[in-house]
Amino acid sequence: MFNGKILTMLALAAVASACGGAPQETAPPPTTAAGAATSSATAAGVPATGTASIAGKIKFEGAEPAGEKVRVAADAKCAAMHPQGLEKKAVEVKDGGLAHAFVYIKSGVTGSYPVPTEPVLLDQKGCMYDPPVMAVRTGQPIKIRNSDDTLHNIHPRPTINDEFNFGQARKGMEETRSFSKEEVMIPVGCDVHPWMRSYISVVGHPFFAVSDDGGSYEIKNVPAGEYEIEVYHGKLKGQVQKVTVKEGEKAALDFTFKG
Amino acid sequence: MGVPERDVPVWRHRFGLLTAASTLFLVFVGGLVTSTGSGLAVPDWPLSYGMLMPPMVGGIFYEHGHRMVASAVGFLTLVLAAWTARAEPRPAVRRLAWAALAMVVFQGALGGLTVLFLLPTPISVAHACLAQAFFCAIVALAYATSREWMAGSAAAAEDGSRVRPAALVATGIVFAQLLLGALMRHTGAGLAIPDFPLAFGRLVPPLAEPGVAVHFAHRLGALAVLGALGVLALRCRRSGDRRLARHGGLLVVLAGVQAALGGLTVLSGKAVLPATAHVALGAAILGGAWLLALRARRRLRPAGAALLAPSRSEALAS
Repeated sequence: MFNGKILTMLALAAVASACGGAPQETAPPPTTAAGAATSSATAAGVPATGTASIAGKIKFEGAEPAGEKVRVAADAKCAAMHPQGLEKKAVEVKDGGLAHAFVYIKSGVTGSYPVPTEPVLLDQKGCMYDPPVMAVRTGQPIKIRNSDDTLHNIHPRPTINDEFNFGQARKGMEETRSFSKEEVMIPVGCDVHPWMRSYISVVGHPFFAVSDDGGSYEIKNVPAGEYEIEVYHGKLKGQVQKVTVKEGEKAALDFTFKG
Repeated sequence: MGVPERDVPVWRHRFGLLTAASTLFLVFVGGLVTSTGSGLAVPDWPLSYGMLMPPMVGGIFYEHGHRMVASAVGFLTLVLAAWTARAEPRPAVRRLAWAALAMVVFQGALGGLTVLFLLPTPISVAHACLAQAFFCAIVALAYATSREWMAGSAAAAEDGSRVRPAALVATGIVFAQLLLGALMRHTGAGLAIPDFPLAFGRLVPPLAEPGVAVHFAHRLGALAVLGALGVLALRCRRSGDRRLARHGGLLVVLAGVQAALGGLTVLSGKAVLPATAHVALGAAILGGAWLLALRARRRLRPAGAALLAPSRSEALAS
């Protein structure tokens, strides 16, 4: 018997072993991003200083990418909430409009606007985020809730703000966090359920919105002025346009993404 | 020439083999955690979602599973260390056993820290590399209780073809390659060069991007490993020791399979199985090269050294 030989084989045999203003908790929108779409500074409870608004449609031209089937069976409780399976789309288009695009005034805003103290809700429901895209003010509390009968971890991956990761093991658990610096489209994920993805934008003023299911958005209560408006989507390259608004007027501004 | 049967710690050797096999499996399971992106699926430590046993769903299956296998390996190492301390007459082997226990405890702490600090690259890379070093320590412990080691080196042939230094150099190169691999893996540079065997269609890609540079260094490291193991295998053949020759040849074959797995990992877009098998096979090659270095030290005496015939007590003390 040669045990050194056995040891050799053992060591070498590895392979075998080998949401514009975000939807508020008290009045969540009926749908994820859609409800967030036209909410604005006023909706967020922030004193408005202007009477103008900027509104339009985020359009998507070209072939809409096919959705991907999610391996929701990795968690039986998630699978039970989606008996027909779950399909994740990189972009969601309805009537030529792009849903879940974040629109905000990139530059031109002057003055300071009080940060709302009421929290914005990010819910985990049906092993999905609700809303999938949201925006908050710097320092505004974000209430993160687990409405699922399974556990989730909440893991934003910002590049400017502080990263965090915590778990919510039981249904109904809530925790409040905030981001202290401006940063757009912070990806938020659940490492337990890799298909879950949300984006949070942190803005220094109240002039932002998220497009609804049909791609429409409106930023309300904007003071008169010249602005740069930027739009982001989690899967598409951002776009910027300039616009001039006058008090009491509604400026139309559309964006077009190509597939 | 050998030692009496009663002096060979057969069961402790077998337990060492079990610990080594479990450690290799642990490396595979740890590789799965990274390959599936589950490293932070359990955000707390040492408990998991405040529990000892969370529901094994989604990424938790991989992360908490890794913790469970790691706990088992820690327990095996504790038993091995205690057993060795009690039964082993050689002080060096006792010290190695305690060192292995310290390593596995520190490794567990590194694993916890990397979760709590959200996978910082230095800690994650240290965690990956310490795993390899720990595996080598367990391999050494198991070999030190094997019949081959216990038989002594009194009749060792002269190392005329210099297998001993070649084996040490090859082990060092493989370890450096594993360090590069860990750095590439934990900085997300595994697909920084998307094609294989060429790099951006060239032999040498633009190296301004750190991820591309690390990835390319890992590819060059693969060539160095193949070269070092090739030289080692040749020297083993020339040594006339058939067991060492077989061992060296097997390492070259495994290094070839490993290179193919590396290519498959890139071409498959870091598919879970090839990427994880690549990690585990890397550990196995390191363990194999390290074992060959130990065997060469035992079976061959340095060139020019006089042939000694130590007493049995001297053989046990060595």
